[in-house]
Amino acid sequence: MAEIAESPSTTEHPLGTVGASRSKASSSALRESDVDPKTMRTTTPGLKRLFLTFSVLLSFLLGFPFLWKTVEIYRSPLPFGDMDALSKQIESSPLQFPCHFQSVFLNFDSRSSGGILDPRELRSSILSEMTKLTSQTLERQCGSCGENFTLSVVVDSDGNGLTPNCSYKCGALGALNLGDGEAVDEALRSALDESCSDYGGKLYTVVVVNGDGAGEGPKALVGKHRHGWISGRELDAEAMIGRMAEMFVKIFMNGGREDGAIHGEFMPVGADGRVVLSFSLLNANPDDWFYDWDFQKLDDTLLNPVIEALKPIANISVESQVLYHTPKSSFSYWDESLGSYIFSTKDLPFFVNSNEWHLDTSVAAGGRTKILQFVVYVPSANECPLSLQLPSGEISKTNGFISPMWGGVMVWNPQSCIKYSGSGPPARLLMHPDDLHRIFEVLMGQLRQLFGLKSDSIYVGAAGAYKLLPSEKGFTEWELDVLSRQHTCFNLHSSGTTLGSLSRLVQSLPRMIIKDEIGKQVKFSLEAAQLAQTNASVGLYEASAASSRQARSLAEDAFFHPSIMSVSYFSFEHCFAVYSPFFLPVSLHVLLAALREWRRYKQEKAKYVRWKVKQVKAA
Amino acid sequence: MRSKLPDAASSRKMAASSAVVAILASIWLCSSIAADASGSSSETTMHTNNWAVLVCTSRFWFNYRHMANTLSLYRTVKRLGIPDERIILMLADDMACNSRNKYPAQVFNNENHWLNLYGDNVEVDYRGYEVTVENFLRVLTGRHESAVPRSKRLLSDEGSHILLYMTGHGGDEFLKFQDSEELQSHDLADAVKQMKEKHRFKELLIMVDTCQAATLFNQLHSPGVLAIASSMKGENSYSHHLDSDVGVSVVDRFTFYTLAFFERLNMYDNASLSRLFNSYDPNLLMSNAYYRTDLYQRNLQEVPVTNFFGSVMETVHTDSAYRAFPQKNTPRETRIRTGNTAEDDSRRSILTDMTKAECPFTRIVSSLESKMETVGNLDSLVNYGLVMILPVLVVSVWLST
Repeated sequence: MAEIAESPSTTEHPLGTVGASRSKASSSALRESDVDPKTMRTTTPGLKRLFLTFSVLLSFLLGFPFLWKTVEIYRSPLPFGDMDALSKQIESSPLQFPCHFQSVFLNFDSRSSGGILDPRELRSSILSEMTKLTSQTLERQCGSCGENFTLSVVVDSDGNGLTPNCSYKCGALGALNLGDGEAVDEALRSALDESCSDYGGKLYTVVVVNGDGAGEGPKALVGKHRHGWISGRELDAEAMIGRMAEMFVKIFMNGGREDGAIHGEFMPVGADGRVVLSFSLLNANPDDWFYDWDFQKLDDTLLNPVIEALKPIANISVESQVLYHTPKSSFSYWDESLGSYIFSTKDLPFFVNSNEWHLDTSVAAGGRTKILQFVVYVPSANECPLSLQLPSGEISKTNGFISPMWGGVMVWNPQSCIKYSGSGPPARLLMHPDDLHRIFEVLMGQLRQLFGLKSDSIYVGAAGAYKLLPSEKGFTEWELDVLSRQHTCFNLHSSGTTLGSLSRLVQSLPRMIIKDEIGKQVKFSLEAAQLAQTNASVGLYEASAASSRQARSLAEDAFFHPSIMSVSYFSFEHCFAVYSPFFLPVSLHVLLAALREWRRYKQEKAKYVRWKVKQVKAA
Repeated sequence: MRSKLPDAASSRKMAASSAVVAILASIWLCSSIAADASGSSSETTMHTNNWAVLVCTSRFWFNYRHMANTLSLYRTVKRLGIPDERIILMLADDMACNSRNKYPAQVFNNENHWLNLYGDNVEVDYRGYEVTVENFLRVLTGRHESAVPRSKRLLSDEGSHILLYMTGHGGDEFLKFQDSEELQSHDLADAVKQMKEKHRFKELLIMVDTCQAATLFNQLHSPGVLAIASSMKGENSYSHHLDSDVGVSVVDRFTFYTLAFFERLNMYDNASLSRLFNSYDPNLLMSNAYYRTDLYQRNLQEVPVTNFFGSVMETVHTDSAYRAFPQKNTPRETRIRTGNTAEDDSRRSILTDMTKAECPFTRIVSSLESKMETVGNLDSLVNYGLVMILPVLVVSVWLST
């Protein structure tokens, strides 16, 4: 490029920049004698070239951060510390709930039991019995009361008793008609529930009534709410302590099972906190007969209360269908002595003929919902009546069985096994409401079994037998408490491990995009887990079950988010290999040009300085 | 641990040695208990069901045998009891309806055409171009989009045993999918590790029938996984025989001998896995079948093959009904006979618990709708409205002039 200098003495550029036009060698001024162009110059070197090259370099340098930002992987910041802390905390210290118990001794006057009963002595002996029973099961089990329970004892004899604090008001229970279980239950409920609201209503009471029993020994019943009672004639207070402790520990704490924990296969709640109950009526051979049922009425009257009761544990929806031509795949044989076709417990695993029974066609269930199938099977005429024979040889009263995490099957035999022999297809028969009612009772028993409880209403413990009153909601309140505690525990454990796995996974793939949605789900899951733990420590079983369910569902949503696929993300070398062919050659040229211009400028400057020096010397 | 009683040793020495022995024994006992506690997590859960994921990864007509392999195993697994809802079948191409197939809609695995594998009740979950590495890994890890139906998901839980069978073309640490992409051994190992972390299986049996299949397991290290491959590194897996009628090879050797083993079984049998694994003869296979048991705790002789290939249902008898519900005593009259009325069309009713509060907009819309329904003749109302437009138009024109 031609320079506009002080004198029109342009010189040949010693380095010859590419693309630069050669400057015309115009005549030199010859003002000075002979200025050697290689070592001196008379004018200051211009800055334009330097400015141009350096501005290009600078623009590249300025643009580099923008480029880096555009290829940055968006990772929503996950609270890894909190996630790991939660999972460690849940693993190390199993969740324990506070439980509150109360015993009431009624009508134990000093004449019969040899001296006034001392509540403090009774309390210490009951406590020692209970600790003996709780230590038999595994220590510090999740979801149990552990050592964290309180016990208060009240002795109410003839209306003037020694009440230590709030809770039972003496004289509240008048004369009880001990014969009718339901009435006693209601009377106890009205007396006890109003008394103390310190514990949020979760106070378990056992009342020992020394009254006029029928004389066959003490009878123990557990009601539908949160109390039970032992009644009998001439009861000895000390002797009742063992039964009382067993009632507290085995029934109220453990839910009527030997060990306190429910295994994972009896927790059929899906990962999103929903369960679909799918009721199917299967007609094996419609050419013989086929039945229909009025499921809507059943659902409205009988099933809805059960679903309402289970609300804190799972969000349940119900569907029903009637299927035809659904034979079973196992075989049965005719037994003359029993007068029916027999299938045994060995055939049970092969009973469900999944090739012909297309049960899982639900559209109500999402991907992570659990479906429980309840199947009522109506056999065909050549297998009617069909009965289940137990290994002991006796015939099953219910003709039903369950498979954990799958559902339950019940065989219902029509009243008469006479084959339809008319012409044309047989008419549809509607099931009689009584039959439907009986079927429903068996199905409710199966639902209870699927949730880990027993379907019958007797508990036989070491100290005696206890009758458990059944509730029309399918589950009694104390059973719901047990389920809430266990499910809270399980859900928190599951969300802890899920969040821990997620944090390890995300940290192991540093170039994977983490969407905002995942960050939000993790945050809400951690909040819900915290809330569940707080609720559990206070003793609100249902609230803790609901929030733990939410925590688990959010954690699972975050972990199973479809964008977390390691196959889709490229390594850093790939990124480098994509961008370097674009930028490396260009940046190389720009850098070199800038360096060259800088070097040239320095040289020219040195030349000018030398000439100046010579001028000064010459002057 | 037996300790010999020395006849003539000082009592102190004996006491010291017995103390040392006792300490060692207690240490061994504690470590075995600890090992049991850590490794028994898979033994404490009950085995509740079996799943099968059968994958054929090859495309094109000359890979007919891979399709036939997968379909034969599908048939076997169904015959032994696993239902369609617990089988995920992925077929990368359609041989039955391929235009080169001389027997349309039929797939054979034998030159005598004994068995039509595509005949009865075949439910393919992923077909054609849906069989990709990404979808396969999504099936294993469970990370689907929310719209994917349940039949395409592996809905296993912590009590499931899963059989994973893959066939196609493979090589050193990879398996080729659709002739365009690869599944690498570290991807598979990673997916299995994530499955184990989320307790998606209790035990997993991986069977691979490709060339150099054993290299696909090199990176596996999750417990509870059993793997068997048709050939080792550097060996090829060969096809069994050519069907000159169809024109291509119809079955691979490894799968052929596997099927021969299973054809002798029915669902009540309890042949063990070690019998299956020992039934492969390297001379007949022309390669060495390799199986890997270091990640699997149980003894293979005690495990029946139906643990993976058959159907399992743990059953518990229902002892009694739950008699809590108040019964309305209706007289037991003669059976109500309803004919085939059309009112019963809705055989499937979904009853959900709907107690949601409605927002104002919905209320307005629904009140409008109910008002519209009360209007008798909707058409005449519309006509009146149209007719009313004219005078409105005239008035506005007049006003504007």
